[in-house]
Amino acid sequence: MKNVSRIIPCYAADTAGVCSALYELGGMTVVHDASGCNSTYATHDEPRWVDMQSMIYISALTELDAIMGDDEKFIADVTAAAHDQQPAFITICGSPMPMMTGFDFDAAAAEIEARTGIRTLAMHTNGTRSYVEGASEAFGAIVREYVKDQPKADGIGVNILGATPLDFGISGAVESIRQWLADCGFTMVSCFAMGDSLTDIARAAAARVNLVISASGLAAAQYLKETFGIPYVCGVPVGTFFSGILANALRLAVQKDADLKPCIHRGFRGRKVAVIGDAVYAGSLATALISCDARVICPLPDGGLLPEDTFNSHAAAEEDIEAVLAAWQPEFVLADPLYQAILPAGAKLIPFPHYAFSGRCFDKTIPDWTAAKFDACGIKKQIMNGETL
Amino acid sequence: MIKVAIYGKGGIGKSTCTANLAAAFATLGKRVIQIGCDPKADSTINLLGGTPVTPVMDYLRTHDDDPDTVEAISETGFGGILCIETGGPTPGLGCAGRGIITTFNLLEQLELFEQHQPDVVLYDVLGDVVCGGFAAPIREGYAEHVLIVTSGEKMALYAANNIRNAVNNFADRSYAKVRGVIMNRRNVEGEEEKVRAFADSAGLEIVADIPRSDDIIRCEDMGKTVIEGAPDCEAAKRFLALAQKLIDEETTSAP
Repeated sequence: MKNVSRIIPCYAADTAGVCSALYELGGMTVVHDASGCNSTYATHDEPRWVDMQSMIYISALTELDAIMGDDEKFIADVTAAAHDQQPAFITICGSPMPMMTGFDFDAAAAEIEARTGIRTLAMHTNGTRSYVEGASEAFGAIVREYVKDQPKADGIGVNILGATPLDFGISGAVESIRQWLADCGFTMVSCFAMGDSLTDIARAAAARVNLVISASGLAAAQYLKETFGIPYVCGVPVGTFFSGILANALRLAVQKDADLKPCIHRGFRGRKVAVIGDAVYAGSLATALISCDARVICPLPDGGLLPEDTFNSHAAAEEDIEAVLAAWQPEFVLADPLYQAILPAGAKLIPFPHYAFSGRCFDKTIPDWTAAKFDACGIKKQIMNGETL
Repeated sequence: MIKVAIYGKGGIGKSTCTANLAAAFATLGKRVIQIGCDPKADSTINLLGGTPVTPVMDYLRTHDDDPDTVEAISETGFGGILCIETGGPTPGLGCAGRGIITTFNLLEQLELFEQHQPDVVLYDVLGDVVCGGFAAPIREGYAEHVLIVTSGEKMALYAANNIRNAVNNFADRSYAKVRGVIMNRRNVEGEEEKVRAFADSAGLEIVADIPRSDDIIRCEDMGKTVIEGAPDCEAAKRFLALAQKLIDEETTSAP
């Protein structure tokens, strides 16, 4: 049966992507779902709840609400909560049950906005797609709503797009990327959306280039390109070698007004390594593994970023991932530890915990491999020596 | 673009009216899409010479993946009309309303309107607006007008009133509005008075008066509409007049 995972888990769902993308922006996110599911979106798929509040609510949809199509109850509840909380904006999004009953989120959002006077965004999640699609839609909606044209920041201003704990955990990696940009002489404008407020990211048009650090940021980057002419560069600055390429790409993108994707790697000679994960992050790691014959396996939507070629495979289903690994026969696999169970015999796992895949199982060991930190972690050396980590 | 959803009591002649209206639009030079939203999947059969198109639900039932093209789930019928049927689950099982929503999502994904660039889109919807799925054709982006088919029979008028109320329930939303009533005559006693009384009380116009016609039955036996099979008959003229009326209104209201 296609797309059924027998052994490995599935990635966090689109609804979690919306909640994660909007967590720090001061809006109220309401998931239309049965009561009791709040913890999935706000704790199991979200590490920030421990020390940071966010207005994430569940509508507590009941069986009778679903049968009767009681839209009014949902709209009235959201309106009442919004009057109490006075959020900067409201986002409503769906889960499998509203999908089945055909709940019209666009119409409900318009009604809520008319009653509250607060901008209300409808997300078209249904709980069956990946977090990348949810986060992409949320980031896309935010840039369309709030980013307005304005004077450019001094120097080469940069936005970071696609930052969520689902891809980076709370490992400090996003903060390190900010620092790396500063160290390279760039001016930080905003980060979508960790560590910055809605006011900060509304200034995004002041940037001269966007750094897309996950596939979740690609749709927003494309909008900012089309609307404000800001080019984008895709990549995560892992290792000094690839970080150098990325920094040059950011400058070149400004000079040439061109979108650049240095995370699409073209392979080197050496030991065979498979990297499994988000297209931008996994591609960046594969390119950072200089002197390795690396192949990216992307089990997530990539917004058309990665080609399907010798060096990159799109394989969402467990059986397809197994097939690619079996055909490629890598010596090492850089992937979340939960992939261990489907690795071919002889392949050695290099742990690359991914919060959207294994949640809090390995959250303490989610890496920050920004710039020199990746060189220092010893992975490249151990691969070269063929050592088990 | 003219986008109309046709509703009415089961068996009242919605598919007959929709297919004939589609054929009339096509005869008047319009590029037409007809989407049957009924598990029976027989809305477009008389535009296709009696040979049914593969319904979307049947395609999805037998394939692992969504179709890559509109062609995989459509046929071109009389006058170049693109015919699509949602189809539905096995009778007594599943959720037909969900099938309609799934089909609409798929058509959006396939960029049906962008690719086909229709002048007219007709949605032929099963019976009453019984659940969210059957209201999907009147949502923003789909139909802009609703035509209710009714005869002078009591239950047909009862259903027509229910449909009108259901559509009015969405008055706060940017949904389709009821444009009028198609009187599909069954030759019951006092038919015109009864339909007119309903229309007046509902503030609706009777936009077409379709006579009970053996021509329609004869043409349907041949897998045709009267527009194709008996273009000079009175029923065909009425459908052509309705199509022209809707075209004229669209032209007048265009910015």
